[in-house]
Amino acid sequence: MPEHKSTSTRKLTLYVAGETPRSLSAVANLERIVGEHFPGQYEIEVVDLKKNPKLAREHDIIAIPTLVRELPVPLRKIIGDLSNEEKVLVSLRLEAEK
Amino acid sequence: MSDDQSAVIESLRKRLAEVEDTIRAIREGEVDALVVGQPESKQVFSIGGDPESYRQFMEAMEPAAAALDDKRRVVFANSKLAGLFGLELNQVRGRAIADLLHGFNGSKLVHLIEAVDDPDAAAEMQINQADGPHYFSTSAKRLQLGTTNGFAITFSDITEKKRAEAAQENERLARAVIASANEAVMVVDLDGVITHANAAAQSIHEKEVIGLSFASEFPLVFPDATGLMQSGDLVQMAADGNSIQGIEALFPNAPRVKDYLVSAAPLRVANDAIVGSVVTMVDLSQRKAAEKQQLLLMRELDHRVKNTLALVLSISSRSASGEETLEGFQKSFTGRIQALAATHTLLADNSWKDLSLKDIVAAEVAPYIGEATDRVEFAGLNISVLPRAAVAFGLVIHELVTNAVKYGALSVPKGRVRVIEDASLDSSQPLGITWEESGGPPVREPTRKGFGRTVIARSLQYTPEGGATIEFAPEGVVARIRVPREDIQEA
Repeated sequence: MPEHKSTSTRKLTLYVAGETPRSLSAVANLERIVGEHFPGQYEIEVVDLKKNPKLAREHDIIAIPTLVRELPVPLRKIIGDLSNEEKVLVSLRLEAEK
Repeated sequence: MSDDQSAVIESLRKRLAEVEDTIRAIREGEVDALVVGQPESKQVFSIGGDPESYRQFMEAMEPAAAALDDKRRVVFANSKLAGLFGLELNQVRGRAIADLLHGFNGSKLVHLIEAVDDPDAAAEMQINQADGPHYFSTSAKRLQLGTTNGFAITFSDITEKKRAEAAQENERLARAVIASANEAVMVVDLDGVITHANAAAQSIHEKEVIGLSFASEFPLVFPDATGLMQSGDLVQMAADGNSIQGIEALFPNAPRVKDYLVSAAPLRVANDAIVGSVVTMVDLSQRKAAEKQQLLLMRELDHRVKNTLALVLSISSRSASGEETLEGFQKSFTGRIQALAATHTLLADNSWKDLSLKDIVAAEVAPYIGEATDRVEFAGLNISVLPRAAVAFGLVIHELVTNAVKYGALSVPKGRVRVIEDASLDSSQPLGITWEESGGPPVREPTRKGFGRTVIARSLQYTPEGGATIEFAPEGVVARIRVPREDIQEA
């Protein structure tokens, strides 16, 4: 069943730019949403593009913060500080869970 | 359309949607940094300026400070702010400030942020630290952080200022207490130099005493210490940690008061170290005067009691020898003791100072004439005499009155007595008083010379000039009394 899939099949990458207010806001919002709706189901990586701008290339990031759902495919991007919870939930729920 | 073409179109559609979403996010302020540049040389550009400069500036600030986003979360803070809550910098980042400041302080800060546009808004907070409570003056200002409308809050530690204010207030109070004390209070340092003196202390010395040596400016004499102790020893003992309480001292050089009750105590400061001594001097002059007066009165009382007892014994034995029956003795003895008591009462009422001759006569005749005061006439007699003369004069008048009541003018309703002051005599001679009876039965000189006549003749003879004589003229008894001039109280 889908909810019994291992966490390695679900991966999120959040791109931030140091400690800008929106970056911090995005980290806080993501922690809260995942904690409330998908506890333990996503592997989360936070990438600071301020420290390493080249990493923007991998997902072709333009605006910061941007959240990328890498797994499961298809890849999805959510641009902004994740303050619109409904929009985040739509992107993070698997097709089977909707 | 081939599958390849469909895939390209799908890919383009996705990329277009992403671009549209990016533009929306920028427009709505959900992003505050952009990645710019060529694929090989990308850079991150912060919209609205790089907050790193804020962070560095904040770290260098003296007060604890934090930048909050519009949700009042800590965007960045300096180490002082983290330290305020016993946390590391990375532990406060992203946290709601109200969570860091629990309870009352949290709600105070929320109010302060809500009143951010009121230039007078300020809050004071007490936050417990490892070394005890600290006081902070807190402020909140608006701060534009990139695309965010945030707040800058600062906490300035005013604990030292508060402590200094409290210490200053205590100091002011202590000075006021010392200054208001009636006792002379002086502070003497470890070198024996007077550093503080209140007005009472200053008033017992002619010079300005601050800065001078206590031992040389106040060379006190301690009568009970048999000369072993001097002023210098007093302050030295206090400086060594001993308390000396209430010893009597004499200050021979004092301009006014000379007797003092002196105490000295070590002056201890916060860490219990002794930095000098506090000397207090209480004016004993009134107490000393009262003691002297008391001693004088006790001696006087002793003297009077002895005199009175001797007089009573004498009256008793002479009354016994002059009377033939027990009843007669009882009557004459009681009368004489009552006469003595009447004068005593008058004297006691007047604090044993003096009495007017008129009052004495009035007191002695009152039991016999009652309401008929016109039967005894006075001329002059507004003269005060000392207790010794008053008692003797009272006894003389008593004998004359009892004699007049028994045999003379006061034994019949028409009889009269005049008591006249002899104004003709000058002040070098004893004061003359004449007792003159009239309207009574014819007078004959008694055959027997009783104790009454002895009392009349001798009572005032305690000095050569005092005394009295009695004449038994047929028309009425005339007695001439001489009151010693030395016992007349000058008006």
